[in-house]
Amino acid sequence: MYRKITREKLRKWLIGLSARAEILVPAKMNGLWTFRLFHNQELPQNFLNSRIPPKNLFFEPLKGLLGWKAADGSFQVNSCPAPEAARVIFGLKPCDARALRLLQPVFTGDYPDVFYAGNLSRTLLLGQACRVQCQGSFCSEVGIDRQDSVDFDVFFREIAGGYIVRVITEKGNTLTGEKEFFEESSAGEWNSAKEEIRGKNEIPLFNLEKVKAGARERFPDEDFWMRVSAKCINCGICTYLCPTCHCFDLCDLQRPGQGVRFRCFDSCAFPDFTKMAVHNPREEKWRRYRQRVSHKFNFFYENFQTVACVGCGRCVAHCPVNLDLREVLLEMAR
Amino acid sequence: MNAPEDGKNIYQPHLMEIVKIIPETGDTKTFHIQFQDASLRESFSFVAGQFAEYSVFGEGEATFCISSSPTRMSHLEFSVKRVGRVTNALHQLNEGDIIGFRGPYGNYFPLDKLKGKNLLFIGGGIGLAPLRSLIHNVVDTRSDYREITILYGARSPQDLCFKYDLETWERNPSLKMVTTVDAGDNKWKGKVGLVPMVLEELKPSAGETMAITCGPPIMIRYTLKSLEKLGFTPSQVWTTLEMKMKCGLGKCGRCNIGPLYVCKDGPVFSQEEIQNFTSDEF
Repeated sequence: MYRKITREKLRKWLIGLSARAEILVPAKMNGLWTFRLFHNQELPQNFLNSRIPPKNLFFEPLKGLLGWKAADGSFQVNSCPAPEAARVIFGLKPCDARALRLLQPVFTGDYPDVFYAGNLSRTLLLGQACRVQCQGSFCSEVGIDRQDSVDFDVFFREIAGGYIVRVITEKGNTLTGEKEFFEESSAGEWNSAKEEIRGKNEIPLFNLEKVKAGARERFPDEDFWMRVSAKCINCGICTYLCPTCHCFDLCDLQRPGQGVRFRCFDSCAFPDFTKMAVHNPREEKWRRYRQRVSHKFNFFYENFQTVACVGCGRCVAHCPVNLDLREVLLEMAR
Repeated sequence: MNAPEDGKNIYQPHLMEIVKIIPETGDTKTFHIQFQDASLRESFSFVAGQFAEYSVFGEGEATFCISSSPTRMSHLEFSVKRVGRVTNALHQLNEGDIIGFRGPYGNYFPLDKLKGKNLLFIGGGIGLAPLRSLIHNVVDTRSDYREITILYGARSPQDLCFKYDLETWERNPSLKMVTTVDAGDNKWKGKVGLVPMVLEELKPSAGETMAITCGPPIMIRYTLKSLEKLGFTPSQVWTTLEMKMKCGLGKCGRCNIGPLYVCKDGPVFSQEEIQNFTSDEF
């Protein structure tokens, strides 16, 4: 189902929604795109992907899970409440929304994590089609359509003065069904709102099937992994900025009479990530780099039938030593 | 079996009281614990080989197997060697103190495959803990199994864990118990020698026998070689693997060996499965 809305009406629609939900929209902070609370302002145009992935709004970098207190000789443990307050995020990109779906079987499969599940179910996901190829990105190579997606509730394509929208979920249908804001549109209008991506790779960088096969074949090749990981400095930036990386640690913070157990990001790039009392199975750097690439293109595919990379390019654009994952994948695909 | 309830916080531990602490060696203690919630004492169940996450509030969680038997449910037991932050904190605790418990997690020893067979247990050091759960289990259901042999070794007589169990098993005429140390002292009357060497001296028959081993990685490696020499096939040999874990639920990303997660797909694996692992990172 397709609908359309003008830019001004979209702003008014969001103002209306803000009475019953928290609204987050793209905003520029210190020269970088991020998602911030909506203050009824004009919605930005031509925004690029946020540097910090919106994953952090669902799988938080630091999240209290439970707390305890010892009062009057009795010891009590209480779960932190699962998030429930309604929320709308506008301007998500197809790659980041796919990443949220990729993490679903991990967090909401067996042993469902109420915090991730709650964040997903309380959020209306409003996506927007890309116009520009992001720096370092290879999204189309891993199967992301930059101008279409079913990973949202509603997906927006910008046109002059407004948007044509594709309504995907029932929740999206209900909220865009208000005649005051949205008008009916058609597949024809939707199709004509498709635009060329500026700066796109004219020829695909690699073939994903060959990358997956290469990931399996190259796994035992120590020399390959040593060579491609040689300049890695284990800083973990690639894992912290990755929309699909989800390794975490559980830690305690004790204060007088009370304490909290929280979940925080961790990284397979760190040498002590797998360190045990007697030995460390991934002590060498090449093993840790191999783990990261293999988890995404080999193990995750084997377990969930999809690769755990959406090609957003953040790890390429922000690596301090220019370790370019695209080059590694290209070599694996050869 | 103790499936998570809908809408429950999977990271929230149950509270358990330490009812007894047994010093095993200079750096190892066994804790007997019991649920504070009386209904959980009734409803909780597990299978030998499973593990849990134990917490000292304010210090964190650590992973240990449940070392008591599902056939003896008056309380649960786990054994801890003092090596890091949480294990040090556990060693400071007293009887009556409260700890957190999440579990049981992971797979378990394949009792259906062990039934009707000769069993050969090979343990080293604190590695006897998971085997002990299964040994008590098979002793309590003795008629389901044929000959049972237990080979246990430690570095020195002072490093032997579960001495009270070793004595009981030695006195049990339906078990064959062999204890060895790497280096004896002037009071030691048992065997002296490394576990794999003593195993080869014992020459257990591989026919209709299942071998279950747990111990330090180096002992396991040589024990597997000795078992192969004795004619054991990889599908006759079972072990439990140890990996760093935090969540125990297949999410936090530490304990994988290739695509397998030791917390969910393990910790119990046959040597046949281990041989087919894509990765040697364990």
